[in-house]
Amino acid sequence: MDNTIQKILIIGGGPTEVGHETELDAACLQVIQAFKKLGIRPLLIDNNPFSAALESVQPTNMFIQAITVENVQRIIEREQPDAILPTVGGVLAISVIQELQENGVLADNGVQTLGIPSDALMDINNPDRLNRILSEAGAPVIATETVGTLDEAVNVAAQIGYPVIVKPIAPRIDTNRILCDNEAELISAVTRGFAWSRFKQCVIEQSIVGYKEVELVSIRDVMGTQVLVAGLENIDPIGIHSGDSMVVTPTLTLSNAEYQELRDAAFAINNQFNFTGVVHTHFALHASQDRFYVTKVTPYNDRGTSLAAVATGYPIAYVAANLYLNQKITDVRLPEIYHFKQTALLEPSLDHVVVRIPIWPFEDIPNADQHLGTVMKSVGSTIGVGRSMEEAILKALRSSQFSPQDELPSMSDLSDTQIISQLIHPLSSRILVLIEALRRGYQVDELNELTKIDPFYFVKLNHILTIEEQIRQQPMDVTALQQGRYYGFGDGMIARIWHTDIDTVRALGQSNHILPTYKGIEPSAGELLHSPTSYYSTFEFENESEQISDQSVLVLGRGGNQLGPNASADYFTTEMLKQLRKSGYKTIIMNTNPNAGSLSATASDKQIIDPVQLGDIMNVIEIEHPVKIFVPGNRHYLTRELRNRHYPVSVLPPDQEKRTHLETNHAEIGLDLFVTPGHIVPILVSDLQSDQGLATTLDQITLMRAPASIDETQLNRLLAHAKEYLAEHKRTGMVQLLYTNDTTNQLQFAGIRPTRLTTIAYLNKVTGINWVRMLVRQALGEIREDLIATLPVDIHSTRRSQVRGTFPFKQLQLPDQLGLTTQEVGARISFESLPELIDEPDNK
Amino acid sequence: MAQRFLILEDGSAYPGIGFGAGATTTGEIVFNTSMLGYQEIITNQIYHNQLIVFSQPIVGSIGIAHDGYESILPTTKGVVVRDVTAISKNRQRSLSLDKFLKQHNIPGISGIDTRHLIRKLQQTGTIKGSIVDVADDHAFDQLHATVLTNQQVAQVATPRPYPNPNQGYNVVVIDFGLKHGILRQLSKRDCNVTVLPWQATAQDIINLDPDGVILSTGPGSPLDLPQSVLEMIQTIQQRMPLFAIGLGHELFALANGSEVSPLKLAHHGANHPIRKIITNEIIYAMEGQEFVVNPDSVNRDRLITTYVDLIDGSIQGLRHRDYPAFSVQFFPDGAPGPNDSVDLFDEFMEIMGTRE
Repeated sequence: MDNTIQKILIIGGGPTEVGHETELDAACLQVIQAFKKLGIRPLLIDNNPFSAALESVQPTNMFIQAITVENVQRIIEREQPDAILPTVGGVLAISVIQELQENGVLADNGVQTLGIPSDALMDINNPDRLNRILSEAGAPVIATETVGTLDEAVNVAAQIGYPVIVKPIAPRIDTNRILCDNEAELISAVTRGFAWSRFKQCVIEQSIVGYKEVELVSIRDVMGTQVLVAGLENIDPIGIHSGDSMVVTPTLTLSNAEYQELRDAAFAINNQFNFTGVVHTHFALHASQDRFYVTKVTPYNDRGTSLAAVATGYPIAYVAANLYLNQKITDVRLPEIYHFKQTALLEPSLDHVVVRIPIWPFEDIPNADQHLGTVMKSVGSTIGVGRSMEEAILKALRSSQFSPQDELPSMSDLSDTQIISQLIHPLSSRILVLIEALRRGYQVDELNELTKIDPFYFVKLNHILTIEEQIRQQPMDVTALQQGRYYGFGDGMIARIWHTDIDTVRALGQSNHILPTYKGIEPSAGELLHSPTSYYSTFEFENESEQISDQSVLVLGRGGNQLGPNASADYFTTEMLKQLRKSGYKTIIMNTNPNAGSLSATASDKQIIDPVQLGDIMNVIEIEHPVKIFVPGNRHYLTRELRNRHYPVSVLPPDQEKRTHLETNHAEIGLDLFVTPGHIVPILVSDLQSDQGLATTLDQITLMRAPASIDETQLNRLLAHAKEYLAEHKRTGMVQLLYTNDTTNQLQFAGIRPTRLTTIAYLNKVTGINWVRMLVRQALGEIREDLIATLPVDIHSTRRSQVRGTFPFKQLQLPDQLGLTTQEVGARISFESLPELIDEPDNK
Repeated sequence: MAQRFLILEDGSAYPGIGFGAGATTTGEIVFNTSMLGYQEIITNQIYHNQLIVFSQPIVGSIGIAHDGYESILPTTKGVVVRDVTAISKNRQRSLSLDKFLKQHNIPGISGIDTRHLIRKLQQTGTIKGSIVDVADDHAFDQLHATVLTNQQVAQVATPRPYPNPNQGYNVVVIDFGLKHGILRQLSKRDCNVTVLPWQATAQDIINLDPDGVILSTGPGSPLDLPQSVLEMIQTIQQRMPLFAIGLGHELFALANGSEVSPLKLAHHGANHPIRKIITNEIIYAMEGQEFVVNPDSVNRDRLITTYVDLIDGSIQGLRHRDYPAFSVQFFPDGAPGPNDSVDLFDEFMEIMGTRE
């Protein structure tokens, strides 16, 4: 191991956006845990208020600043870290470190880059240079040409012949590839590409649209030892961004020979670049011609590596953190939860199937173009784990829907022309349209022709329809229920097909012993006996999940990332889990978001990866008998249904049911408070604004700034009013009182609402008090009133801070528009800790 | 598809859905944790007399491919899976795994909790089982009464020599139940191959004047083969380069005075890290073994241990100190499995090249 490294600057992921969500922060958290265990001091720069990683470093090591070359440079010069880590910050981190390498800052300050050698850093997002290195490694690549002007681009494209692919060189954002069928599209793509490229250059290459897209996730140490962690197979062909495609692991439609060829190529590339840590390699395979190309090499954590980690139980980010420090993989010591020796060296072998389905922002942003293409549009994803393809895909689908009642939307309204059109030009409803086409009798070969999706998947979808029909034909039939559950149908779905309620379905299952059996998610496929922490359900012979403790709590995760308050839900959930464990409970989390930090093996005592739907929740409750069930944020339907069944449900923050009481629908000043029966703790008073200035409605308030633009007298008046109001209207937990500032500069009471999750994250960072933990302790009855009185919160603080929501409009290729709270994809926070309030430059 | 049962020697019975042939068969239950290559696994002759439990949840998803045969006439006793899919990808779109198994009279059973079976086998060790139509006393009686042959090699190895002509080195392959991956690797290296039956004597081999000899993989126990095989190895290793794989490796160890004993539980999978001792490199390879060389019995004056499995500590490779002879327990030809150790064939070529 390299002992010269004592202090490492980690570049965080920044605000969530289309292209990355919580997976970077989740990886960052694991890396920090590993570094700390090795006695290394991690410094972290990030301006994502929903970062759980920020909570895990000492305040002196935490730099809440936008990730820009200038800010990182300033930290390097002041803190003199020994090394800088580019592998948990996505493309932005790569781009920033590239610039710091070019301008000599890293060399001048003696900072080495970890994981990705300096040369490699310059090559990986420059398609031209990448291709050269790949060729040297013996890997097949597509011929490409670099262009710097529109004229050149038009000429090159004409030579290659349309369709062509445009890729910006050294982009600032995760752009992937843009497919162009003609000159007009080319001009538009190249223009955009130039704007995204740091060098105003693009690469033009021959289109490989329709090829099968396969991704491998591998680990490499300084000795050159490599472990193939997982193969990911995109159900959708090249032409649809892999982030927007349905993805399956393990690969199911590759022959051994094909797979080994890719493995050899990935390893050769890793050796050529001399990477250490984790690498995600993308390939395009021709379906029948035994030909493949390497399309992308990402030697850092991303959605692919997080999927691989959750699917296999292999702690990728943790192991990689050790390898960055030139530790040998044979020497990596894992946390105790990994029971057998050599976990890091075992190539994961799976006995289950994992399907990832994207989650779209279109419900909240209806004016966006819903066509899928080479530019990513999804904002999150959700996985289904099963022992069959049918089960995995149905579970993923059930989790990807917004309906709380566990039903899939019908596509029966589509005309045949629409179906054909959507098969060829897929929309975000892709999977449902595929199912509908099969329902209408389209043949597998025909669909394979139209969509370039492997016939295997149509055979499986068809089988789902057969099972569905069987269920429909035989209401309340035991065999039909058994088959339905075996293949992944939820109790809610079955109840709907049978026109009955979920309890009737469950009673039928109970009395006929059709009970869930939980299976461990671990990398040995059952060969090496031990008890993993992560489970999924199926309906087979052996159940491996026993009640973990008679003092357990179940936390219902929020599922896949969506726009709106969900952006902060994973942070909230992770912090809840920490406090619950600290309070002495065994923690169980149910979640389906492969990118969630709250799902990482160290965040809770048991992870159940199943749809967070009523039937599945009750299955868990029947085994675990938790003393409490926590619902972060609120899910009205689930909460109501669970309460109706007398389960001990706590919603956090509490009082969500009391909802909002409003005098008027706009506000300019917010006063956030923590309320206990004996105390009212004022936390922060702030200006409330929209992204573009004045907010005329509450759902436009996506920016908070402190201190508020009111004077001391006004503040005291607000505090007095709050006290008076809350004496009359009982509330607990956290609330935000809203005020308007009328023309005469008189503050008027506008209403009261539960403090938003996103706001709580901001308040944590502003006050240095973890309010999520306070809420948990309050719900557990652990809060002592006398200590509440001594909380070090200064409502009169003049420290300037701001949090503002970020929106995905540009990535969805929409003109800038006024963002609503329901459209927030992430947020950024800033403090006046530097000479001036530095906000992130808009470089999208 | 009808309901059938997998029954085990310990009295347990698992209902499932039959596929492939409708035959009732009995064999040892072994499991394979490879995630790929069901066709290669099923056609590997090492599974003669055995029922293969697949940990990969879905088999059949790529049909049967012309380049996926490890033998043309598979002799496994059965295929036990969670899920089987009928896909055909050959030119006629007419050969699914189901049909293939029917053609070879091999029964399959799906809908089995294979993860449970694998976990259970850790406790029981290798035991016998049958795929049957009815799990009644009669079926269990039959199961208990069945004595599995120990003449597996004689049953699967070629009875007659045959050539695989090419222009390169003359290589004799002794067939103990040869997997085709070995032939493929030799073919890639232009070797002029003669495959000889397992009873070939040293003189038979010497008469062909080969540049080197390969002892192939095969089924069953090395202890069940006659002494004459060991004598053949003892003579040949002194005369020419020798490369032994799988069962061949076990025989090579025996011929050089080591002991070989049965594992409590067979190991079949491609995910164990294997240390190449001389370089400290870690590689992955398909392992398929019921027997293991006892480390304490290895005569250090004659043999050097070259590879060791880091999960179970088993010896995975040996080399003779005095002769150009070496062996590996795992399958360096992949098929299925990683190609990490395919360079062993190159090493064999080199050794043949340096021979006077």
